[in-house]
Parts: sequence; C-alpha cells; structure tokens
Amino acid sequence: MTDTPASAPATGTAEAGERRPAFDRHMLEALVCPLTLGPLSYDAEAQELISKSAHLAFPIRDGIPVMLASEARRTDD
Amino acid sequence: MDEQHDKTTHFGFQTVAEDQKAGMVHGVFTRVASRYDVMNDLMSMGIHRAWKDAMMDWLAPRPGQRLLDVAGGTGDVAFRFLNRAQGAGAVVCDMTESMLVEGRKRAEAEKMADSLDWVVGDAMALPFPDNSFDVYTISFGIRNVTRIADAMKEAYRVLKPGGRLMVLEFSQIPNDLMQKAYDLYSFNVIPVMGQIVANDRDSYQYLVESIRKFPDQETFAGMIRAAGFEQVKYRNLTMGIAALHSGWKI
Repeated sequence: MTDTPASAPATGTAEAGERRPAFDRHMLEALVCPLTLGPLSYDAEAQELISKSAHLAFPIRDGIPVMLASEARRTDD
Repeated sequence: MDEQHDKTTHFGFQTVAEDQKAGMVHGVFTRVASRYDVMNDLMSMGIHRAWKDAMMDWLAPRPGQRLLDVAGGTGDVAFRFLNRAQGAGAVVCDMTESMLVEGRKRAEAEKMADSLDWVVGDAMALPFPDNSFDVYTISFGIRNVTRIADAMKEAYRVLKPGGRLMVLEFSQIPNDLMQKAYDLYSFNVIPVMGQIVANDRDSYQYLVESIRKFPDQETFAGMIRAAGFEQVKYRNLTMGIAALHSGWKI
C-alpha cells in the first residue's frame, strides 16, 4: 500500500547552502485524502501524495502539500 | 421565496454561483498575501492583535495540545498558540498557497519549525482523519468559506471528543448608530487604504462587503450548534466589531 523507499531524501538542509523546505515525512501520517478520507502514499521522486481510492495525486510544492482536488492530477490505474 | 435552480452564494455584495466563490476568494488572497499583515494592522489600527490575544485568553492553550488553524494564512494564531503551550503542535491549513508561503517566511515560523506544519487545504474538505485535533481555530476566515455549514461539520469531524472550536470573525455591532458609523468608516476608508498600501482597491472592497454580509452573533452561534457543537457561547470584541465564538465537541 504505502511505498517507503529505504533511503529517505534528506529533509531540511539542501545543497549549495540554500535552505530548500522539504516535505516532512511525519506529515504523511497526519494527512488523508480530502475526498475519500483514505490513506495516502508518498512519491518522493514526483513529490506527490497519491490517493489510490480517489485516483488522484496531490502535488507537494516547496514542501507544502497541496490537498485540493482542483490542483490534483488524475491517475488512471 | 425565489429559490433558483443554480445554487448561489455571496461574494461581498455580489451574488455568484457557489462553484465560483472559492476561485474568487482565492484570487483576493493571492493578490493581498504579501501585504496582508501590514493591511491588517492598518485596517484595524492594530486591534486585530488584541483580538487574537483575547482569543488565546479564552482558549487557554494547554501543553501538548494539537491545534488545527484553518484559513491560518500567515500563521498569526498558530504562533500565539505555540508560544503559550509547551510541547504543543500546530497545523496551519489555508486554501491559498501564497499565504502559507508568506507565513513560513516569518521569523517565528523558523523558530517553531519543529512543531509547525503547513498544508494547503479546503475548510469544507479537510485532509485530516476524524478525531485528530484538540483545538480547531479559524480566524477571519469563516466568512470567506462558500458553505459555512460544511466547514463547521468538518471542524466537528476532525476534532477529538472533548475538542474545542474557536472562531474569530468580524461581526455586527448591536447598536445601530455605532454600526452606521463603522460602516461609514469601513466602506469609505478601507478600500482607499487598500488602493494606497496594496494598490488593490477591489480586494479590500470585497473584504468590507464580506464583513457586512456575515451573519450576526446569534445566527452564527446557531450554525455552530447545528454542526453538533455544544456549550456554544460568544463574546463581543470592541463593541461587536468582531466576535469570538466557542463550542465543544462532547
């Protein structure tokens, strides 16, 4: 169900001294799909939170999850 | 009696289709985000700070509590809450991404980063599980929500049993003469200030209209009760220019 890559990306600090806010993984436990209230899984590479039950992928921008259906990408799987 | 087939709602004094309001509100707050804190100070002559402090006094944050601050924009309420409660945590949830980005830039946000989370979300469809927060606050946000009843139901859902709701919002002054004087000020002065400070008269015109359209203290208290909350009470602030509403999920 939830994909948990063995090597989580570094959070907080980033390359070249510039602070780039990253998605905090503990947020994953605190969030559900706003449409179905079902669980979400984290795609670190795409920076998306996937709701299987709603077939939607919610974007994470600058570490902030955008949990609006209007901003989500449809996943047809 | 003239119920229409298409559902409509208020956008300030305009009547708009329900499905248009969120986008229009989003537009307003995207435009005002970078000047929002400055404008709040100017518009209320700094009084909004005292109101938020009054909110905290009534709320009395306790150690370890978990707060959800909806329409929390630039973090004002969450910072105050965390300052008063050791080991508490807060989630700031706002429909407008640029408001959160502004909030996260603030010095307090850096200091409290470990106990603060920022989420873009809709008050009518919160991305949180049932029974997950001790406190739900919404400060100067509820009047911008398309369906207030839906937002109150969501507040009830995400609060734990024993959880507390607290709403800070502009309200109606019970004294007619004072209300007239206040209307004169708000309709004549605030849009002009918006023009000067933020170069955006229309957004601030919306703000004053939406304030005038929001239900009075008793009516709003009734809406909170209708969502299931108990022991619903309110307190007027500055003669009723604003009001605090409190309710409990028992």
